[in-house]
Amino acid sequence: MTAEATLTLRAPLQRRVDGSTVAWGALGGLDGAGIGAQEVWVEDAERATLGDLFEVKGAPAPRIRLVGDLGLMDGIGAGLTAGELVVEGDAGWRLGRRMSGGVIEVRGNAGPLAGGADPGAKRGMTGGEIIIRGSAGPMAGAGSRRGLIVVQGDAGDDAGRAMIAGSVLVFGSLGENPGLFSKRGSIVAFGAHTPSAPYRYACTYRPPHLRVTLRYLQARHEVPVAAGQLTGAYRRYSGDLAELGAGEILSWIP
Amino acid sequence: MQLRGVAIEDTFAEAFTMRVARVVVTARNPRWAREAALKMTGFATSVIGCKVEAGIERELAESETPDGRPGISVLLLTMAREDLGHRLIERVGQTVLTCPTTSCFDGLPEAPDRVGVGSALRVFGDGFQGSKVIGGRRFWRIPVMEGEFLVEDKFGLQKGIGGGNFVILATDADTALAAAEAGVEAIAQVPGVILPFPGGIVRSGSKVGARRSKGLIASTNDAYCPTLRAVTASALPEGVGSVLEIVVDGTDAPAVSRALRVGIDAACREGVVAITAANFDGKLGPHHFHLRQIMSGDGTR
Repeated sequence: MTAEATLTLRAPLQRRVDGSTVAWGALGGLDGAGIGAQEVWVEDAERATLGDLFEVKGAPAPRIRLVGDLGLMDGIGAGLTAGELVVEGDAGWRLGRRMSGGVIEVRGNAGPLAGGADPGAKRGMTGGEIIIRGSAGPMAGAGSRRGLIVVQGDAGDDAGRAMIAGSVLVFGSLGENPGLFSKRGSIVAFGAHTPSAPYRYACTYRPPHLRVTLRYLQARHEVPVAAGQLTGAYRRYSGDLAELGAGEILSWIP
Repeated sequence: MQLRGVAIEDTFAEAFTMRVARVVVTARNPRWAREAALKMTGFATSVIGCKVEAGIERELAESETPDGRPGISVLLLTMAREDLGHRLIERVGQTVLTCPTTSCFDGLPEAPDRVGVGSALRVFGDGFQGSKVIGGRRFWRIPVMEGEFLVEDKFGLQKGIGGGNFVILATDADTALAAAEAGVEAIAQVPGVILPFPGGIVRSGSKVGARRSKGLIASTNDAYCPTLRAVTASALPEGVGSVLEIVVDGTDAPAVSRALRVGIDAACREGVVAITAANFDGKLGPHHFHLRQIMSGDGTR
């Protein structure tokens, strides 16, 4: 078994592809033929397979690397339970849909609802880690039940909307209405942002858990963390006070 | 065997299998980490009367702790596994949770045997507590008046060793103390061990049971008391006027063995007549640290 299997996009995607049907959590144990036989749905077309879209090399391997612009591919990492998935380019909608474990790293940008709940679903991701090196679309971590989402760039509106638990860390700017309707969970904002209206300022302090989280992200995922972010003070806002109110927005004070 | 003129007696230290936990306490600065660690390891010299044996293993640099702050590593040992969980909850709850700026982490994260500590202490948060899973480890955030106390959910336990020891037989009390202090200082550099007694030194080694008080499980080791030389079956060689013992607990036999070796080596100085060890004729403890083997580079039986 090699350390890493590579799936290289054969040709740029022209239509949206729904990868939610791929058994992402099982790919690590499959050989090239097994990975290639995984079915996906192509918008306005018949079913296709990963083998139709990607050239597979190096399988089986515990780490799967997807190479190419996958901004039109939705549901990457859906249902992931363990292992590691690396997307070299952009990722589409619903990255890490229903994932409960493992790690997804996107080296480009991610579309809406990264780690978020499907419309009408009770919860989004329930565990695992999503590291987005670029920016994330709206509703990152919406409805998440556990897990960690890190956005090194900007995050769109409604990040952490209706979160039940978990953490969303955004190093760039944060869109409007972060954490609206959340019950618990943490949104950590390092860049420009405005706390949502139903959040109330509690205090300015140094959250002990954040140091552990940031050091972990530095060591495990090479996330660039400034010394001031590690040791500095944060304004804590509690909310959504129209809900349980056990959630928080931690606003870094540069 | 002689080491710098000090006789190394042909005997062994008899030690016991215990359960050990390693607790890492961090704080804003070394002072507060030490304050918490000193409280946590207080009144924890011997399971004979303290329910737990505990001590500071070493100071930790910022780079060695999960939160990048100065820390102290503490070892706690009990005879029974169940007891260790209770003692951890009591001591972390009363001495670390209460101490300004501290956080508390498991120092044996790889140990498969685990006991809930943060999971028990979380109820102090009265429903306002929250948890975070970071890198597969769960932590509890307990709101306190100062801010927040962070404590790991579960702590690892493993088999350890309690009661490794050596005994310094010296001409007088000052010499015995100086030799013991030198031994303690040397052992402080050895990872994986603690010296649970005050300053690492015991002046009141005990024998099993008692002559007079039948219910007593331990009483003074009269054979090694210089003042009783004339009235008891003394084990003291001629010229010995004071005796001190260093007790070593550790995470495993090699660590205890290393500590005994460097401690004995440092204690062998002018005025020390002999180094011996406490044992029970091999009837009680499964770990036997033979002094001469240790000093010649061997381990335990």
